[in-house]
Amino acid sequence: MRLTFALLVARLAGWASHSLLGKSGETISGRVLLILCPNAISKLAAGRKVILVSATNGKTSTTRALAGFMATAGSVTTSKSGSNLPRGVANALMTKSEYAVLEVDELHLPAVAKATNPEAILLLNLTRDQLHRMHEVKRVADRWREMAASSNATFIADVDDPFVNYVISSAKNSVRVSFGGAAGRHPDGAVCPSCGSYLDWHGGLYKCVCGLNNHYSDKQFEASSAALRNEVLANATAERFGVPWHEVDVASLERKVSKKFINADCAIRLTKNPASWREALAGITGEKVILILNAREVDGIDTSWLWDIDFSSLRGKHVVVTGERGIDLAYRLHCEGVIAELVADFNAAAAKFAGPVEVLAAYTAFFELVG
Amino acid sequence: MSIRIVRIHNELLGTYGDRGNADVLAFRAGLAGVKAHIVDVSYRDELPDDGDIYLLGGAEDAAQVLSCKALKGFDFTSRVVLAVCAGFQILGNSYFAGGVKQEGLGVIDMETIPGSSRFVGDIKIYSDVVNVELTGFENHGGQTNLAGGITPLGRVITGSGNGAGGVDGAVVGNVFGTYLHGPVLARNPEFADLLLERALGRELSRVNDPLADQYAAWRRAVIK
Repeated sequence: MRLTFALLVARLAGWASHSLLGKSGETISGRVLLILCPNAISKLAAGRKVILVSATNGKTSTTRALAGFMATAGSVTTSKSGSNLPRGVANALMTKSEYAVLEVDELHLPAVAKATNPEAILLLNLTRDQLHRMHEVKRVADRWREMAASSNATFIADVDDPFVNYVISSAKNSVRVSFGGAAGRHPDGAVCPSCGSYLDWHGGLYKCVCGLNNHYSDKQFEASSAALRNEVLANATAERFGVPWHEVDVASLERKVSKKFINADCAIRLTKNPASWREALAGITGEKVILILNAREVDGIDTSWLWDIDFSSLRGKHVVVTGERGIDLAYRLHCEGVIAELVADFNAAAAKFAGPVEVLAAYTAFFELVG
Repeated sequence: MSIRIVRIHNELLGTYGDRGNADVLAFRAGLAGVKAHIVDVSYRDELPDDGDIYLLGGAEDAAQVLSCKALKGFDFTSRVVLAVCAGFQILGNSYFAGGVKQEGLGVIDMETIPGSSRFVGDIKIYSDVVNVELTGFENHGGQTNLAGGITPLGRVITGSGNGAGGVDGAVVGNVFGTYLHGPVLARNPEFADLLLERALGRELSRVNDPLADQYAAWRRAVIK
C-alpha cells in the first residue's frame, strides 16, 4: 500500500519536473520514491532477475551493452546513463520487467546488492578515482569483499585486476575471467590487497605468496583495450542467462561522442581518473587535441592525480587546454614539455580548430558538451 | 653542476600524485641552469647514498608499512628530504596503519595517532620557513603530534594539517614533512626553489616561469 502510494507520488513528481520545469524528471522520481518508501528498491526488485554492474571505469557503457544483450532474453529495465546512486536504481526499477540491469556506484554497491538480491554482479575494475570521496582503493575493495562473502549472486569478474580478484575470492559463486594480463601492471597494485605483501608483476601477471594470482582463471580471452575487455565481460555475464554471444560497436563502449562545435568536428571522450586518461591518450590518433579539466564533486575535487599520467605522447601536437581547473593541467603539461595553450572556455578552444579534433573531457564537462 | 633527485618507492608511496614533486624539482632546476636527474628507486632496489634530494609520498596503509620497513637503517637526518603525508608519518617515532601502532624511522621527534575523523580537503598554511603561503590538498586519517621544540612547516590558515596545534608538517635541518599534496611543489614553486637551494648549498639564480607563478597565486587566492 505504502509502495503503491509512493510510486504514484514519485511518478507525479517526475511528470511535474519534466513537463513544468523541463527537466528529465528521473532523479526526482527516484528521490521521492525512496523518501516515501525507503525499502522501495528491495520491494521493486523482488521477483525479477537483477544484474548489477560496478567498476571505477566503464560502468555506464558496459551496463548499456549488457542491457542490450539481455533484451534478447526478455524484457529489461536499466539505469539511465550514469544514474548509479540508489535514487537512480529506484527510478530504473519503477518500470516493470523480467530483468533489471543496473549500474551501481562503487560505494553504494553493497547496500544495493543487499536490497536487490541479484542473480549476477559484474565487476570490471577498481582503480584510483575521486579519492576525496573513496579515500583509498583498498577501502572500497574491503567493502566489496564483505558484500561478496554474504551474497548468493554469481560474480563475473576480471581477475587481472588484483583488487577485483581479492573481492571475489570470498564469493560463493564466481566466474573468474582473465585476459592473460593484457591490461598490463595494475597502476595501484604494488601491494597485495589480500595480505599486504609486495606484489611482483611480470607484465600483467601477478602471483602473491598468499596465493592471490591471475595465472589461473575460469575463462581466458584476448582483448587489447578496456572497451574490448568490457565487451567480453558483458557477454560472459549474459551467457549465464543463456544469451548467445553478441558483438557491439566499440566506440559506444569507449563512450565516444561526435559533435560539431563552430568548425571543429569533435570526437569527445570521457576522462575522469588516471586509468581513463591513459586509455583515452592511447587512443589519440590525430594532431589536434582539446583537454578539459574540471574539479567539481563528481570530477574529484583534488587534481593531484594529473601527475600520475604520462602525457608525453602529446608532445608536438596542437593542444588547447580549458576547464575550471585547466591551469592545473596546463602546468602539468608544461613540466612534461608539452606545449599547450590555456583558454578561458570550451568555445574559445573549439574556435582554434577546423576539421577533426579529439576532445578529452572531465566528467562534468563531458555531459555539458554532449547534453 | 647537477643534482640527483631520488624518488623513493613511487609504486608504494604514489597514491596522491606526489611523484610530481620530482618532476617539478627537475623542471625548475633546468630553468635555473642546473642539470637534474631523477632516480626512481623501487621497493626491491637499494636506496642510493649519493642523492641530493630524497622524496617520499603519500600511500595507503599496507604500502606505507612495507616502505617504512624497507627504509629502516637509512640515514635521512643529514640529507635534503621532502616527505608528504604517509611518507611524513613514517619519519616520526611511530604511526598507525591498519589500526595497529607501527614503529617509525625516528628522523623527526613526533608521533602520529588516528585522528578524530579523516582530514580531506583544500589546505592553506603560512610557512615562516619558506616565507610564503603554501597551498595543497590533504587526505589523511592521522593526527601528528610534534614533540616540544620541533618546528612545524607552517601555521594552518585553512584545513587541518597535522590535526593538532593548528600547524602542518615539521622541519628538522633539511628534512621537510607536510600533509600537502597537489603535488605541493607544483602549487608552491618557492618551496621547490628552497629545496633546490638547500641541495645545492647556494642561492638559485632567479627562475622565470610565469605559468608556475600564476598557478601558485591563483590557488592562494581561491583557498580562503
